[in-house]
Amino acid sequence: MKRTGKFYWLCQICGWGAYTVVGISSSVLEHGWTRDVWGYTFFFLYNIGLTHLLRGIIKHRHWASLPLPQVLLRLGVASVAIGVIQAALVVGIYTALEGSLGVWRDWHAVAFLWTGVTIATTVWNILYLAIVSLRHSREARRQQNQMQIALGNAELRALEAQLNPHFLFNCLNSIRGMIVEDAAHAQDMVTKLANILRYTLQRDRNHTVPIETELEAVSDYLALEAVRFEDRLRIHIDLTEEVRRLEIQAMLLQTLVENAINHGVEQSPESGLLSIRGVREGERLRIEVENTGTLQNPESRSTQIGLANARERLRILYAERATLDLLASQPGRVTATLLIPAIQ
Amino acid sequence: MKALIVDDERLARQELRRLLLAHSEIEICGEARSGEEALACIRRQAPEVLFLDIQMPGMTAFDLLEKLEDVPQIIFTTAFDIYALRAFEAGAIDYLVKPVAPNHLAAAISRLRPPASASSLQRVFVKESDRCWLVQTTDIYLLESEGNYTRLYFGNERALIPRSLSALENRLDSSVFFRASRRHLINLRWVAAVEPDVAGGLVIKLKPGIDVEMSRRRAALFRQALSF
Repeated sequence: MKRTGKFYWLCQICGWGAYTVVGISSSVLEHGWTRDVWGYTFFFLYNIGLTHLLRGIIKHRHWASLPLPQVLLRLGVASVAIGVIQAALVVGIYTALEGSLGVWRDWHAVAFLWTGVTIATTVWNILYLAIVSLRHSREARRQQNQMQIALGNAELRALEAQLNPHFLFNCLNSIRGMIVEDAAHAQDMVTKLANILRYTLQRDRNHTVPIETELEAVSDYLALEAVRFEDRLRIHIDLTEEVRRLEIQAMLLQTLVENAINHGVEQSPESGLLSIRGVREGERLRIEVENTGTLQNPESRSTQIGLANARERLRILYAERATLDLLASQPGRVTATLLIPAIQ
Repeated sequence: MKALIVDDERLARQELRRLLLAHSEIEICGEARSGEEALACIRRQAPEVLFLDIQMPGMTAFDLLEKLEDVPQIIFTTAFDIYALRAFEAGAIDYLVKPVAPNHLAAAISRLRPPASASSLQRVFVKESDRCWLVQTTDIYLLESEGNYTRLYFGNERALIPRSLSALENRLDSSVFFRASRRHLINLRWVAAVEPDVAGGLVIKLKPGIDVEMSRRRAALFRQALSF
C-alpha cells in the first residue's frame, strides 16, 4: 500500500508539474516574468488537490469495480465538473490578484481555459484508470498463479501413487499364513511392511528423494512380493553407485515396479522376471523397468490411468523435462522407460 | 460338500485350508493355482463349492466361470477386488475378503445350499458386457433359441449365452423344463395359465406376463406331461 501511495504522488507531481512547467515556460517566453507565474503555481497546487479529491471519490465509491460504460460516464462528468471548478478558480484568483477580470472579460478566453483543463483532467482520468486496471489485472494474475500452484499441490496429492490396497491385503493374508508356517519370517515380513507403510505415509510429498532411499522401499516391497509369488519372481537390479545418489520423485520408481509386478509378473503363471536398470546420460537420468509379459490391450483402463497419473505427477515436478514410455521392448517383454533430469 | 480352493498364492491356499479345518461339512478335494488348473480339477472332481480368488494369472475368475458348463456354488475370495464383483446383482453371490475372518467364513458356509441330488444343470454363469449373473436354473422361466445362442429370461433380465437351446435342454431337468416350440423351452413352475388357441394349439401364459404359443402336436405332449 505504501509503495502504491508513493507511486501515486510521484505521478501526480510529475504529471501536473510538467503541465505547469509548460504553462509557465510559454507564459515567461511570451510575457516575461509576470504575476502569471504565481497563477500557474496555484494552478499546480489545486490541480493536485482536485484530482486527489476525485481519487478519493473513485476509491470510496469503488468506481474501479463498476462496468466500463458507467465508469466512463462518471469520469466524463467529473472531468467536465473539475474543468468548471478550475476555470472558476483561475478566474477568481486572477481577479483577486489583479483587482479586475482583465483578459477573462472575453468569454472565448474562459471557454479556452475550461477546454484546456477539462482535457488535462480527462487525460489524468484515463491514466489513473489505466494504471489501476493494470494493477488489478496483475494482482488477479498473481492470485491465479497462486491458485494454480495450490491446485497443482492438490492434484499431486490426488494423483499420489498410494500403496496398492490389493498388495496390502494380500500381504497381510500371506503374513497370517506365515505366522503358522514360519514365525520368524512372518516377523520379518511385518517389519518390511511397516517400512513401506512408513515410507508411503511420511515421505515429503512433492519432493525428490535419493534413489537409494526409494530403492530401500522398493526392495522391501519386492521382498514381500517374493513371498507371495515364491519361485515365480526373479529380480535383477542394476544401478550404479552414482545413479543411486541421484534424486528422483518419491514413489516414482515404486509405481513403475508395482505396475511391472501387477501387469507383468502377476499375470504370468510361469516365472516372471523384473529388472531395474539406471544410467546417467549427461544431464539426464534414464531408468528402465522391464518385466515379462505383454502390453495390456488398449481397453485395459487401469494401465492407462496409472500411466497417465504418473505422467501428470512428472509434469507437476519436472514440467516438460521428463518423459515416461511403456513399450513392448521385445516379444514377451515390456519396458517402462523413464527420462528425468539428473539431479544430484 | 466337496470344495476346491482356487488361488495363485500358496500361503493364501494354505491359510484357507487351515480355516476350513473348523468346518467338517467341507471336504477339500483339491487346490488349483490358476484358472487352467481349476478347470481341469473341476472336470475331474466336480466339486460342489469353489473358493475362488478373483485375480489370478492367465485366466481370471470370470474367464473360468465362462468356461464352465455347470457352475458349482461359488464363494469368491479377494484382497481388494470387491469392485469386480459389483458386476453381479447385489446379494447374488458370496465373497470373503482376505485375510479371511473365521466368522465371515462360517457365515458364508452356512449360506451354501445342500447339494442337489439330480445331476441336472443347477447354475449358469451369464455375462453381458459389464454385468454378470450366476443364475439358478430354477429362476429361469423361459429359454429362447437364437441360432447357436440362447436367450435366458429370468427376473427382469433377458440375457444371451453362447450355448444352443438343445445343449441346454439336455442338461436341464426334463420334469421342469418343457419344449414348448422349436424355439422355446419353458419352466413349468412359472406357468400362470394355459389357454387354447384357434388353431387347436395352446397359449402358455408365464407368470412374468409372457405368452408362448404351442402347436397342436406339442400341446398333446404337454397335456401328457402334465397328466401323470
